[in-house]
Amino acid sequence: MRKTRKTLLAAIAIALAGSGSAMAETVTLTGYSGIFQDHYTKAVLEPFMEKHPDITVQFYPMANSAQMLGTLRAQKSSPQIDVAILDVSVAKAATDEGLFVPIDESVTAHVADLYPAARSKGVAGVGVTFDNLVILYNTDEVKEAPTSWEALWDEKYAGRVVIPAVPDIQGTTLTIIANQMAGGGDYKESVDAGIEKLGTLAPNVQTWDPKPDVYQPIASGQAAIGIGWNARAQVYSQESDGKQGVALPQEGSGFQINTINLVKDGPASEAAKTFVDYALSPEAQAAFTEEMFYAPTNSKAQISEQALERTAAGSMDKMIDIDWLEVAKIRDGITEQWRRRIIPLSR
Amino acid sequence: MSVAATFASPSSKAPSTASLAVMLLLPIALVNAVGFIIPVLNLARMSFNEALPGGGIGEALTLANWQSLVSDGFYLGLVVNSIGVSLLITLITLVLSYPIALYLHRSSGRWRTFLTVLVISPLLTSAVVRTYGWIAILSDQGPVVQTIAALGFTPPRLMFNLTGVIVGLSEILMPYMILALLAGFGRLDPRVEEAARTLGATPFRTFARVILPLTLPGIALGCLLCFVLSISSFITPKLMGGGRVFLLATEIYDQAIVTLNWPLAATLSMLVLIIFGAALGAYSRVLRAID
Repeated sequence: MRKTRKTLLAAIAIALAGSGSAMAETVTLTGYSGIFQDHYTKAVLEPFMEKHPDITVQFYPMANSAQMLGTLRAQKSSPQIDVAILDVSVAKAATDEGLFVPIDESVTAHVADLYPAARSKGVAGVGVTFDNLVILYNTDEVKEAPTSWEALWDEKYAGRVVIPAVPDIQGTTLTIIANQMAGGGDYKESVDAGIEKLGTLAPNVQTWDPKPDVYQPIASGQAAIGIGWNARAQVYSQESDGKQGVALPQEGSGFQINTINLVKDGPASEAAKTFVDYALSPEAQAAFTEEMFYAPTNSKAQISEQALERTAAGSMDKMIDIDWLEVAKIRDGITEQWRRRIIPLSR
Repeated sequence: MSVAATFASPSSKAPSTASLAVMLLLPIALVNAVGFIIPVLNLARMSFNEALPGGGIGEALTLANWQSLVSDGFYLGLVVNSIGVSLLITLITLVLSYPIALYLHRSSGRWRTFLTVLVISPLLTSAVVRTYGWIAILSDQGPVVQTIAALGFTPPRLMFNLTGVIVGLSEILMPYMILALLAGFGRLDPRVEEAARTLGATPFRTFARVILPLTLPGIALGCLLCFVLSISSFITPKLMGGGRVFLLATEIYDQAIVTLNWPLAATLSMLVLIIFGAALGAYSRVLRAID
């Protein structure tokens, strides 16, 4: 019955369009623009479409998670997007507003194989990539790869350090790392020690708002050292012919989680579920890790040794467990402290 | 007089002129209502919504956003800072642009056309490109800092702070100021200046007593334009401020795009609109005082 209806629709569509492709279902996926889009299309979307010739996945790029949330909000009454890949804390806000439907065992069996960190309570979607904060450095100026976050505090780099400040979550992650370095205890209680420690970093900082991103000034030599996300840093390290280096310090780091979410009442709900199932499969997870060095969220993904070395997968025990949903609650306070006690010290 | 008035407005013609005016105004009124007034009203309403942690918007109506503007010293400082910086940039732009505009006003022929094109040409490149140009010039490896260092002085930081923002914005706003000044220089008649000189006034006195008062309308217009443009400018402070310069426009961006606190962003946007209104009010007062 459904099939005949589909054929009929296809016939109408072809008749209307004059020419045109067979009525393949289109899944609209929104995610980060730029290198994320390029690599995700290559590693996940293209193989998926080869396997499912009747489904087309369209990547609708957006600059950041906030923009995605804004678009999803605006389309709430008639969604045009089926699947959204965005940061976990923004996904929580979207879930609270009823924009997503839960992804559980009924959507995909792969949910059972995900690492526990990929499933956050109160978030409809599940983790699709793990990333972590790293040190970036210009290899012409920093000859030996830094082994500690303390390198940022080195007087040699006065005026040559770039830090994306809060409210960017790279700044938030650094606050939590600094808090641990200063022996500040549980970040959920207080990050005072971390704020104090970052205050002593402030005089070294060239800019708190690197443009267009943090990777470019370091690769070009405008700055010597800074912080950024591992996956992008690894790709830019390749693209800059090693001008920009990446180091995961011995003190460990914190994870950033991108979640994949099903939009409520999305136009292609069944095909969208098929895509989510594939995106979380060991196969797609491994392919994207090999391509862009995000750590996989599916524990069954088989990753090559070289790719694994470029993710935090080998240093899991040193990672600081950051609960982003808890952080969302204290974020305003952290932002305020940065503005009062850190940034003014850097003029 | 009264007879003429009766004849001039025959009763049959009055409604048709009025309906023609309505018809002519209707399209732009519709566009403005859909594209401007409704969104602004929506923004005004959102400023009374509750902001939930993590970027949610609560349905409950609250005054909390407006209260935080008054009670939180940071936002009060933000407003004072934004207005102060914008006034300073306006003043610098005026001082730099006035002589150029005066010279342009007095020149004539092809030379004038050439100079006018020269003044306007920066507007052909976007503010983003010009800001990146300033970054190259003012950065630590740039020519200015290198020259100061070569002369044996400790170079100041010119980039990623307030200095950079002021330099960049002043240059970017100069064409607007020059054009506004030129538009307001209509009353400046060279014969009046000549009369002042023949009556024995020194050049300085001529400037202070004749030229300056006659060009005040242009100055008022240019200052209004530059003030409004600089308080709402976002790209240059974002690119050149290095995250150290907190202004209303950059804060609205952070709250709307990064922190996802839309209600607070809406409140700050309404505040900027109020500042615009105040600037317009001050401008019309100045104009009336001049006349």
